[in-house]
Amino acid sequence: MAATVVTADGPTRKRRSVRPGAMTRGSTLGLGIGMVWFSLLVLIPLGAVVVEASGGGLDTYRSIFTNSQTFNALKLTVGVSLLTTALNMVMGTIIAWVLVRDRFRGKAILDLVIDIPFAMPTIVAGLVLLALYGSQGPLGTEFENTRKAVFLAIAFVTLPFVVRTVQPVLEEMETDVEDAAASLGATRATTFRRIVLPTLVPAIFAGAALSFARGISEYGSLVLLSGNLPNQTEVTSFRVASILEGGNRPAAAALATVMLVVALIAIVALDVTQRRLARRG
Amino acid sequence: MASASAAVGNRSVALTWFLRVLVVGYLVMIVALPTGLVAQNTFKDGLGGLRTALSDPDVVHSLLLTVRVAVMAVAINLVFGVGMSLLLVRYEFPGKRALSALIDLPLAVSPIVVGLALVLVYNPRYGFFGQPLSDRGIDIVFATPGIVMATCFVALPLIVREIVPVLEEMGDDQEQAARSLGANSRQTFLRVTLPGIRWAIVYGVVLSLARSLGEFGAVKIVAGKSIGDKETATLLVQREYQNFHQDVAYSVSFLLVVAAVLCLVVVAILRPSTSHHATPKVKQ
Amino acid sequence: MSIEVKNLHKRFGDFVALDDVTVSLPTGQLTALLGPSGGGKSTLLRIIAGLDSADEGSVTIEGAEATHLPPQKRNVGFVFQHYAVFKHMTVAKNVAFGLEIRKRPKAEIAERVDELLKLVHLSQFAHRLPSQLSGGQRQRMALARALAVEPSVLLLDEPFGALDAKVRKELRDWLRRLHDEVHVTTVFVTHDQEEALEVADEIVVINEGRVEQVGTPDQLYDSPANPFVMGFLGEVTDLGGVALRPHDIEVSVEPGPDTSVSGTVTRLLRVGFEVRVTVTADDGSQVLVVLTRTHARALDLAEGTRVWLAPARGATTIVAGPGRAEPELTRA
Repeated sequence: MAATVVTADGPTRKRRSVRPGAMTRGSTLGLGIGMVWFSLLVLIPLGAVVVEASGGGLDTYRSIFTNSQTFNALKLTVGVSLLTTALNMVMGTIIAWVLVRDRFRGKAILDLVIDIPFAMPTIVAGLVLLALYGSQGPLGTEFENTRKAVFLAIAFVTLPFVVRTVQPVLEEMETDVEDAAASLGATRATTFRRIVLPTLVPAIFAGAALSFARGISEYGSLVLLSGNLPNQTEVTSFRVASILEGGNRPAAAALATVMLVVALIAIVALDVTQRRLARRG
Repeated sequence: MASASAAVGNRSVALTWFLRVLVVGYLVMIVALPTGLVAQNTFKDGLGGLRTALSDPDVVHSLLLTVRVAVMAVAINLVFGVGMSLLLVRYEFPGKRALSALIDLPLAVSPIVVGLALVLVYNPRYGFFGQPLSDRGIDIVFATPGIVMATCFVALPLIVREIVPVLEEMGDDQEQAARSLGANSRQTFLRVTLPGIRWAIVYGVVLSLARSLGEFGAVKIVAGKSIGDKETATLLVQREYQNFHQDVAYSVSFLLVVAAVLCLVVVAILRPSTSHHATPKVKQ
Repeated sequence: MSIEVKNLHKRFGDFVALDDVTVSLPTGQLTALLGPSGGGKSTLLRIIAGLDSADEGSVTIEGAEATHLPPQKRNVGFVFQHYAVFKHMTVAKNVAFGLEIRKRPKAEIAERVDELLKLVHLSQFAHRLPSQLSGGQRQRMALARALAVEPSVLLLDEPFGALDAKVRKELRDWLRRLHDEVHVTTVFVTHDQEEALEVADEIVVINEGRVEQVGTPDQLYDSPANPFVMGFLGEVTDLGGVALRPHDIEVSVEPGPDTSVSGTVTRLLRVGFEVRVTVTADDGSQVLVVLTRTHARALDLAEGTRVWLAPARGATTIVAGPGRAEPELTRA
């Protein structure tokens, strides 16, 4: 009888499960070479940053918070990154929605435009924004050397992240589910709030993590735009660069370590979200 | 007959238009319009600006260096990316999950931190590796190899991120079939696996190229203060702009934008489905 | 009549999904919309539910005009082929969804959910996520979810299409029994004639956007309106210019009356209790005959045996013709 039914699924889109094989001699060699390169390029240098920072002891870290210029830079960077991330969570989701569910001429171009901030050199991104929003631009806005410019530049470079994490999830989502909610009496708003949004939330946060990490670490696009004014528009990566130029390597490394930790948290958050998404299947 | 639109009786035309206009407006104001303005500023005096810029030996040198660095970095990342993807998908080894997450790390690390990290280790005066290498006459940092390494670092995950999902989707039954028909590992890889992932490789390479041509922060730190002939195109844009040679800055920027957009167009045309994009995304 | 559909037309671009469909679906019954894939039956179901809109025509549900009503105001239950479960909600939450939308008191919801989960034999899974259920279990959950709001009609779109053969058969029996218990007007879409014949009180055969025939399973099987319906509901073979079912042919090893068709057995295939015999008639045409194993043995059939074939008494026959011939029903 029906209660005994425990057979496998129907043809739901199932990923073919690949059972990874044991290591062979060739693959071990390959992994060895790959790991050596990865270590030389990424792991050891990043480790060196942490080691260098610890050379100055806890005081170096404390100086980040006691040095008002550094602390202001950190505050500005985190603040602006949070703000742009919030903006991206809303706008990115809306953009992804329009790209997946709406149909109009020129949508393909829109799809391409999303990737421009990712592919464009950051220094050029700064120049590009200056061309429109600078004092010589056609809008008459004078954003250069203001915090508005910092916000704008970070909003520009982080634009694609939420869009591109939400988009595939939205594409995968069957419209059947929304139809089901509608036939059960839910209005469009209720369906969005109770059915669509909860499905998208992990992807939105994954995108937000990437966006936040990128915002915290931004450098190139701000070079021409922010004016790099201490305590006003100076962001953390500039602070690292200028401390380094001043010759205080441990202090620069300590601030870099703080940034690294934030990056690591973002990556871990991303990894966890991916696994949660995969499990829900 | 499942139609693409959900619940027709339930759609609001006004809302659809509102969202459409909002999205188009936002993208135009943030991305499209500024990008277009660079083209406009470049051609303010017709082709003159571009011609002047390209007759400047510094500009030509920086462009050539940029291309050379980008090609080298992409080649290195290609070998690393294909190899690592195969290992991550097809083999089981301790620490695999950690490695898979760590490979994504460069996406989140500030370019300045990348530069700092490389300088700390490969600096000829006090670097752990830099000093002994320098004694043997090999300079990494403040020389072209350092610029290549910095570029490799920032573009490292891009190829892996393209190939891994495709390899997972492909499954290994084709490879097993090839094995059962008598192919050895090399033949299996060349005749079955590689054709299966070739488009993923192409996308990855094109995206890495776009990223590599445009790296700024990490290269700036690694190239050092006395830049001289180690000036890449992006560094040149900064210098020329700050020296009030805005026409040169715009011309070189325009060339870099064209290269980036071209890369995106190539990927958009080659890609069969719309579900994959240049920007790193959550692996499903 | 519970659902009245009048003169429905629907196109998707150049493709005509529904071409002037008019049909009445009776209250309290289990009706099957049967037809080949792409024939328009799912579109009809979705239009009844309000999930698609018709280009022309009207839909009335329980006497109320519903043509332009959005789906959430129609009070219909809809079950999808691929379950359409709410993945982020537990089984109980899925079932409760429609009741929560209707802002019923918490206690009432809990009680109703309990009752429904019992009905679909999923009580022990109430707090699991749908991803932890099998396909059959997910579909039963979807059914409970649709029934929770006490819909005036229950619509099922190929509800068992995504399940494997064994589960499908179990669920089919179970749906019939469930319907006998709750008596809600039910319409389900299927392309499987066996499923329709076994479960439905009434069958609507739909092909190329048109209704071919409406009737009880017996009516459809015994008196098909045209060759399409006859062919779709079971095997058909051609005997001397007449189309009939292979098991409705009488086989004789003695010369029969002049009207019988003579031929030679060219192939014998034993499938379980039946024997499928291919006879090549003297005019070169091939006729398929199905006999029971006992019968075939009694006749001592073998390849090369001379046989005489005639329609059995009471056999359903139709003058064979290409494509959509006008129905010319004859009774032998």
